[in-house]
Amino acid sequence: MNIRLVISGRSYDKAAQAPETLELAAGATVDDALAALAELLGEEGRLPDSCLVAVAGRHLGTIANHPAEPLRDGDEVVLFSPVAGG
Amino acid sequence: MGGPAALMLTMAGVGRVIIAHGGDMISPDLNRQVLGSEEVLGKPRAEHFAAYLRSMNRFVEVEAIDHEPDDVEASLLARRCDIILSCPPTFEERLRLNRAAAGAGIPFLDAAQWGMNGSLIVVKPGETACLECVYPTAPPFEELFPVVGAISSTIGSLAALEAIKILSQTGQPQWGKMLMIDGYGGGFHQVDLSRRADCACCGAGRTSEGTSS
Repeated sequence: MNIRLVISGRSYDKAAQAPETLELAAGATVDDALAALAELLGEEGRLPDSCLVAVAGRHLGTIANHPAEPLRDGDEVVLFSPVAGG
Repeated sequence: MGGPAALMLTMAGVGRVIIAHGGDMISPDLNRQVLGSEEVLGKPRAEHFAAYLRSMNRFVEVEAIDHEPDDVEASLLARRCDIILSCPPTFEERLRLNRAAAGAGIPFLDAAQWGMNGSLIVVKPGETACLECVYPTAPPFEELFPVVGAISSTIGSLAALEAIKILSQTGQPQWGKMLMIDGYGGGFHQVDLSRRADCACCGAGRTSEGTSS
């Protein structure tokens, strides 16, 4: 199955190195998607643990703390690194 | 973002605006501080911003606080307000304002930006996720970060719009949602935020109303 990736917030620069879609095995979870993305980005492109994770418009938590969530073909996974500036 | 938000609220004619901002106006502020100008460089921000706001609408009472409120002051201020718009540069300050709003039982709007990206969170106290549900611990602070005035004004104006909707009970406030604007690419995303049962501000983890352990 394919999922769509949206990387935004403070990690915008890392979005340029990531694909817009990820191909995952059937039955994959959000953790599988994060692991596949981490491999693509490498240590230098690592997203912060505080990065917000949402699937199909629903907030799950942060990269450091979120429930196991099965993905469906066509899901959009949003990863938003916290921003605070004024 | 606080400047455009305060300006829009003042021009809309809300009864009173309290603007808290420490420090003096510096030249890097000029790319987004719509309440500032070259003429006030080196002068305290808050009092000048308040004077500008008063010049825009004589019917609105404007109060200036020339420093960032601490926990106690934020809590006391929240009890004098109907809504809090959070626009400071650090998460410590944002989480403090979030706790103050939760303690006072008033709506809380968190407006944030980085470069050409921005976000807006709308919190209905006790009913929807608060800022601490989203960020249980304060993410690290960047001393230097990119700011584009156009996105600051956009997010600040959207925060003011949500505030006006809530205060006037008009339209549909985006309770419990986080709007993300990707100004680099031109995309908008909205996420339904989830409350955390153990949230230290609004969940089972709180030690007393609106305070975290």
